[in-house]
Amino acid sequence: MTTTLRAVLEAFQVAEAPLSLGQLAATLDVSPPLLEGMIEYWVRKGRLREAGTAGSACAACHQGRACPLIVKMPRRYELAAPGERAPEPPPPCGCCHS
Amino acid sequence: MPTVRIALAGNPNAGKSTIFNALTGARQHTGNWPGKTVAKQTGRLPLNGYDLELVDLPGTYSLSAFSAEEIITRDYILDECPDVVVAIVDASNLERNLYLVLQLLEMGAPVILALNMIDVAESRAISIDADRLSAALGGVPVVRLIGSRQVGLDDLKQAIARYIHQSERVRPRWVLPLPESVAAEKSRLQSLIEREPVLAARYDAGWLALKLLEQDDDLLDRVASFPIITAAMAEAVERISAATGEEPDTLIADLRYQVIGQIAAQAVTRGRAEPTTRSDHVDSVLTHPVWGVPVFLFLMWIVFQITANASAPLVDWIDGVINGPVVNWTQIAFNAAGLGESWLASMVIDGAIAGVGGVLVFIPVLMALFLVISVLEDSGYMARAAFVMDRFMQRLGLHGKSFLPLLVGFGCTVPAVYATRTLEHSEDRKITAFLTTFMSCGARLPIYVLFGTAFFGASSGTLVFAMYLSGIGVAVLTSLLLTRVIYRNKPVPPFVMELPPYRLPNRHTVWLQIWTQTRDFLRRAATLILAASLVIWLLLALPVGRGGRFGEVPPHDSLFGSVSAALAPALAPAGFGSWQATGALITGFTAKEVVITTMNQLYVGSGAESAPDSDLGSDLRAIAIGLGKALVLTVQEIANVVPRTINLLPGVALPELALVPAGAADEAGAPQLQSALRAAFTPLAAVAFNVFVLLYVPCVAAVSAMRHEYGTRWMLTQAAYTLAVAWLAAVLVYQGGRLLGF
Repeated sequence: MTTTLRAVLEAFQVAEAPLSLGQLAATLDVSPPLLEGMIEYWVRKGRLREAGTAGSACAACHQGRACPLIVKMPRRYELAAPGERAPEPPPPCGCCHS
Repeated sequence: MPTVRIALAGNPNAGKSTIFNALTGARQHTGNWPGKTVAKQTGRLPLNGYDLELVDLPGTYSLSAFSAEEIITRDYILDECPDVVVAIVDASNLERNLYLVLQLLEMGAPVILALNMIDVAESRAISIDADRLSAALGGVPVVRLIGSRQVGLDDLKQAIARYIHQSERVRPRWVLPLPESVAAEKSRLQSLIEREPVLAARYDAGWLALKLLEQDDDLLDRVASFPIITAAMAEAVERISAATGEEPDTLIADLRYQVIGQIAAQAVTRGRAEPTTRSDHVDSVLTHPVWGVPVFLFLMWIVFQITANASAPLVDWIDGVINGPVVNWTQIAFNAAGLGESWLASMVIDGAIAGVGGVLVFIPVLMALFLVISVLEDSGYMARAAFVMDRFMQRLGLHGKSFLPLLVGFGCTVPAVYATRTLEHSEDRKITAFLTTFMSCGARLPIYVLFGTAFFGASSGTLVFAMYLSGIGVAVLTSLLLTRVIYRNKPVPPFVMELPPYRLPNRHTVWLQIWTQTRDFLRRAATLILAASLVIWLLLALPVGRGGRFGEVPPHDSLFGSVSAALAPALAPAGFGSWQATGALITGFTAKEVVITTMNQLYVGSGAESAPDSDLGSDLRAIAIGLGKALVLTVQEIANVVPRTINLLPGVALPELALVPAGAADEAGAPQLQSALRAAFTPLAAVAFNVFVLLYVPCVAAVSAMRHEYGTRWMLTQAAYTLAVAWLAAVLVYQGGRLLGF
């Protein structure tokens, strides 16, 4: 049996182009807020990751989501390889530590 | 007065702290959770003869053992057994929030459901039937709230009071419905747990059995000393996986989501007017795989039409004020002090005012750009642009996230280089940082506008747009070179992006953006550009070779002129081999605005009138009249963006609006620098000069940022590459143009 949760993960695996949350929710026949929760589940499991914040270079910066360069873009999620370790973040950037 | 413990639980941003503050007021205490760095907020509230002790639990999405916040929340409910748990949920995002509520109910926690932000939900045409929601959750009390406006707090207090008085036996109990294969395994494990007095005393056996089937790391550690249970659990997990083909934790989580979907179907109604639906319709065009990119380019074309053309009348007005009354008044002041012919007067007028003033005149251009970009951003379009351009990025072998730093690069290369930190992989970061310099920064824009209005009049917006497109084109070619030759292409992971609904831009947000950016520009003008202006003036005042006195030497014989003249022949094949143009490009390394500063000093500054005949009253009147005219012309130029855009279609020639007669518009004459440039450059050489400005080495701050992030070698590589590409492209444009007869 394929659960809806598994279908969410598979949608990421087979996608050939970027998808919007609304498009994926429509494909899976679930509401966008429910899909957000499902994505969050896979993020917790380490199978997806929120790009640009957790596990990324920005993890090193104390401003995190408050960074003026980050808040301009909406949240986006992508596949994380199983067992993949987050890359070593560079030192905090000058733009956030003025 | 008996003490009753009330815990507030909820997702991050569900408004939990707002409600906590509203309930407890000043009766609060802040500390840390034992052994953790997570803040603990407690407060007190007297209610119906009880002393309520409220605890604001950390915001969490679930009660697994993923984070310290989740473990704190779970342990508090397990160990402290609060009398009531108020689960605060964001009503506009109910489905996502219900996951935590179900987990609280599975634990057997005495839950009251507080539907917060009802107003936000209603504004999105989301209607929640509280009675149906309560029934679907086994009779859990449901209260509607608007925490930010303190609406519904009395209802919440009454619900808490009723719950305290209620006997535990009649309190609702909700159980997650499980399929047979899981229910049987849970039941087996539960009976084993019940036989262990230590575990049975601390945990609800059914809940613990379910969490063990979910392979909860924290609880697995806690039962590690009970081998019968761990062995039974391992066997149960294997059997469930074999029977269902799915890991039990995913299966159980999926069941919760199914239940949430069913509850939402019963209790939530979404209106037809939901903005998300309207956004979806608009998105079918704006994020279309084929039309998305042309629409983006079209909008950018409009942006540059507005930026370059609409701001031109105000640019001319400021230029007139600075080079007219401001210079005159300064000269009068020096004359009055007996220093009219001194080097000090020259330094202030030809150095500081000509240099800084030459840049300040472009404030309307930058404000117009900030305005249109802020409007696009606040309306939700820029998120779509990022989404559309992602596909494009991926075709270039770049990570989709490269779009953000590249977009930032249109403002300034320095933060763009730092923004490459948002990319996970070092190669992606290096390539993207390398490309940011080709995204024409805001400091280059005034140069295009200056040349555009000097040589191409009403078509200056097209020149600006062409420059931006050329930068993107060179970035594309460079990217292909880097990703296909130097760094081999690697697969780019697909992603899912949240696209916020479209909305009318908030004027306060837009104004804040414009003001912040303009203020930064003014600060830059008052510091870096002023300093650069004075240094250039000094270099122009220092005599070399044939001698002369300080401050009186002809520019060509100055130190600055000599160095520029020595390098100028290298730029002759590009059509602008004069020492003035070369000198301006050299100083542009300090900051790109300084190119204009230098040109103003070289072409205009020394020629400024120094025998003013000025009257304060008539000057102020002329300034006010000039401003009025400029504002009318601005309206005219904005309106004319429409016919000029439609006229791009073959065979269409709509008339343009003319609020001010053409003669009157030109009355003030072209700014001095533009006239001087027309004498010094041919139109083809002007285009080649702009191409060089677009592509050559970024400013010293950007180069430093590159060295800081990626080392000296990568910085030098980029500097050499940009210089070579700029020279080659400028020569190609000039020589190619000549061959074609331009």
